Amino acid sequence: MNGDPRTVEVDGVGKTYAGDGTPVRALDDVSFTAEAGEFVCLVGPSGCGKTTLFRIIAGLTDATDGAVRLGGTPITGPTTEMGVVFQEYHLFPWLTVEENVGFGLERTDRSDAERTERVDAMLDLVGLSDARESYPKSLSGGMKQRVAIARSLAVDPSLLLMDEPFGAVDAQTREMLQRELLDIWSSTEKTVLFVTHDVAEAVTLADRIVVMAAEPGRVAEVVDVDVDRPRERDDPAFGKHVARVRELIGARP
Amino acid sequence: MATDTGSRFDGTELRTGIGPDDPRRLGRSAAGIAGFVLLWYAVSLTQPAYVLPSPVAVGEAFAEELAAGTMTTALWSSVRHWIPGTIVGTGLGVAAGVAFSWSGFLDDVTAPLVRTLRPVPPLALIGFAIAWFGINDAGAAFIIAVGAFWINYYASYGAVEGVSEDLLDVGRTLGVRGDLDMVRSVVLPASLPGILTGIRTGLGRCWMLVVASEIFGVPGVGREILRASNNLLVDKVIAYILVLSLMYLLVDVAFRAVQQRVLVWRA
Repeated sequence: MNGDPRTVEVDGVGKTYAGDGTPVRALDDVSFTAEAGEFVCLVGPSGCGKTTLFRIIAGLTDATDGAVRLGGTPITGPTTEMGVVFQEYHLFPWLTVEENVGFGLERTDRSDAERTERVDAMLDLVGLSDARESYPKSLSGGMKQRVAIARSLAVDPSLLLMDEPFGAVDAQTREMLQRELLDIWSSTEKTVLFVTHDVAEAVTLADRIVVMAAEPGRVAEVVDVDVDRPRERDDPAFGKHVARVRELIGARP
Repeated sequence: MATDTGSRFDGTELRTGIGPDDPRRLGRSAAGIAGFVLLWYAVSLTQPAYVLPSPVAVGEAFAEELAAGTMTTALWSSVRHWIPGTIVGTGLGVAAGVAFSWSGFLDDVTAPLVRTLRPVPPLALIGFAIAWFGINDAGAAFIIAVGAFWINYYASYGAVEGVSEDLLDVGRTLGVRGDLDMVRSVVLPASLPGILTGIRTGLGRCWMLVVASEIFGVPGVGREILRASNNLLVDKVIAYILVLSLMYLLVDVAFRAVQQRVLVWRA
């Protein structure tokens, strides 16, 4: 077992919902490991249980079977060791940008000065220092997601867990955010678990792609993406990986 | 005239003043009032004073009561019912609404009780007001507090119910632990717009209840209205109704300003 706190082990995770009469098996025996500092994407067709798996890893939903371990410690509930980013940002609308970023820090034993310093650093990281006193209502989708990322990173988690974080922004902003995320990832050396249904996005970002299949949600295959970064979409190797992952998703029922 | 904002719990209406701020629209509002007074005057010419006194007669009655000092005395008495009644009723209503809505356990315990007590009109509690507090300011404040309680209870209950589950999840992932921390740092701020709309509605309702709360003989504006009405002094009745309207207007404008400042983060 790897002692690095950034290692995530998903071990035999299953989830059954009681449903009306017949129980529904949403996830069945899902196992994979994200090594420390690795960028892993989870892709799969809708209904493959990506979001359920995301919530189980985040500690927001209990698994029926199996366990998720972060640095060897089983996850039993939400933990600040995990920075969670949701698709719809979910910023606190009553807090300014800097207050949103500082939200998690209020519950740590850092001094005021340390908190301010950390918020400044995070705002700088996502390029939003000028918007620090704005309220979320006045921000664009891309800016909101940057704030959400800064907020989740502020408490210095071991793992960044993201559920289709760029699904609600336009294509151009999405590409920009992808580049920024890769920069943040390489500078912070955190493990990233990134859920998406966009195959090209997964191939752009990931070291490895966990391809899931539906009914019940399970791991179809884990694909290594051995293409040098930055990756270009017109690179034949890129296209080959996209085709491979698409095939895996399409070939399974 | 003062009108209650009714069940507008969405709190979208956030203008500052009595009417629209734009001068042209303000002009229209003024024309509306002038038209109403003119119509009133015209109709009053065809009616005896005990059915509908003219605006002039009402103005005179207003000035007379004001000059004699009875109006200010009555108003001061009513304010002494309104302030404690509103504060206690609002405070308890918000606290109970938030607590019972947030806690499934408290909700289960209190739900049948709430449904039993809710249909009781504040007026029906006058017997209890007299028995528990006596014919005094506290008794009148009690009636007002009951009215304020329910409006704020339901507004706060609904507002907390409407807090997005996703924001609670975000709170949890950022280290919020326990009910108190969650209520303080996520639930209350997220439900504040709804709670404030409830408070504002309650402030208006409490001025209406001033009349009811003084029905059993406690001095105040309501008492003056009831007494004048028994003596068919309709001009005096309307003069005192105007006092209530003006008080409501004053409080509502002030509260709206506060509301806007507190909710500056909203669109």
